[in-house]
Amino acid sequence: MLNLKRILFFVLLLMITVVTKAQESKVNAAYNFLMKKQLDSAKAAIDIAVTNFQSANDDMAWNVRAYVYKEIYKVKEKNNPQSTARIESLNSFKKLLVLTTNPEYKQTAVNGIKYLTSTFYNDASDNMDTAHYKIAIAMFEKYKEYYPLIDTSKTNLQKKDIEFLLALASTYTEKFKANKSKQEFLNLTKATYSKVLAIESNNISANYNMGILYYNQAVDLINQSDYDLDIVALSDIQDNSITLFKQSLPFMEKAYSFDPNRKETLLGLSGIYFSLNEFEKSNMIKQKLKEIEQK
Amino acid sequence: MKKTIFILLSFILFTTSVAFTFDLSEQANAKIKAIYIYNFTKYIEWPELYKEGNFVVGVLGSNSALMNELSKMADSKTVGSQKLEIKNISSCTTTDKYNIIYVLPDNSAQLTDVINKLKGKSTLIVTDKVGLAKQGAGINFFIDGPKTKIELNKTNIEKYKLKVASTLVEMAIAVK
Repeated sequence: MLNLKRILFFVLLLMITVVTKAQESKVNAAYNFLMKKQLDSAKAAIDIAVTNFQSANDDMAWNVRAYVYKEIYKVKEKNNPQSTARIESLNSFKKLLVLTTNPEYKQTAVNGIKYLTSTFYNDASDNMDTAHYKIAIAMFEKYKEYYPLIDTSKTNLQKKDIEFLLALASTYTEKFKANKSKQEFLNLTKATYSKVLAIESNNISANYNMGILYYNQAVDLINQSDYDLDIVALSDIQDNSITLFKQSLPFMEKAYSFDPNRKETLLGLSGIYFSLNEFEKSNMIKQKLKEIEQK
Repeated sequence: MKKTIFILLSFILFTTSVAFTFDLSEQANAKIKAIYIYNFTKYIEWPELYKEGNFVVGVLGSNSALMNELSKMADSKTVGSQKLEIKNISSCTTTDKYNIIYVLPDNSAQLTDVINKLKGKSTLIVTDKVGLAKQGAGINFFIDGPKTKIELNKTNIEKYKLKVASTLVEMAIAVK
């Protein structure tokens, strides 16, 4: 009986050793396939390796997997924003970062994540136009998801966030300008600038653009009216446009307070004062603008 | 495993794309005046003689935004069967026939001269400066806070054999 137990123990030990060796050889095989650029084979081998309990927590295995998928992304999916290989690679680098105690592996993971997150950012930038902006949004969301793995300070990410939101707001404006009946894009523009101001209330660009948006909405309301409009309806239009001019004013005044010599802001502010029949203030700002232009 | 360099692209080019045009403010202001003036043609009745030929609006003074707006209005609207004609003038004459004369704020000093030259005629005098409805104008634009409104002097209008509808009287501030 004792002998049988011993035999069983040794058989089990042998099996474990064989399986472990098999997984090690799968990792090695994947690595060798990667070196030979046989990416499909590398992928098949490494996926088997990391699903086995023996190498599920092996930093070497995850490192190889991250590189295999990174290569697949670079070789086959670079022009595809929906690339799944990029996500697989990032998640493998992420796993590696958690598992490893090896400083070299840690640095490798950081570099890999840095590179791949930058490709999300670049895809967002490349797709920031009126036709592809939804892809840009998705790409930037991915960028934001992975970026904290390599930089935990919020400042840099917020800076990028503002840059992205300003570009997105401009794209929505283009959509609205192309078809002014599409009010949803005007609302999206305002909501996007509001997001910038929630992050950085003193942002000149967002303040200026918000001011102009309300201003343009107000003048459009009047300028698109028909001459047949009766006086009562004209009074309502005036009331609505005045509300919009008043909404525009604090944004433009704020933009002006941060950069009193910026020509666009001076022009905008004088226009708003003029529209609110504050001619003295409008002329004063116009005069300042004239002086700046003469310098 | 080789290192890969990464370069971040930029969104900077997109940051200030909302266009601003000061002209739009002047255009909006002019549009409000044009809509009012077109309303006057509907609520005031001219004698038969003034229903012949073009319906002439004389603008005394200089305001290019207003002239553009009134010209656009003249291109698209008529007064009954009369074609709208907008004339930019620097002074009022006794010979010309105007249905409306709009004296711009900078030319308000010419109001007395206008009144003298329009004696016995059927012209609606419109002005754009505080107090002028009491000094001979039939209708005067004024600013109430940020809003453009009108005041109306019925006696001054009727002096010129014009009939004013009660609706317009009710929508304006009455001046005597």
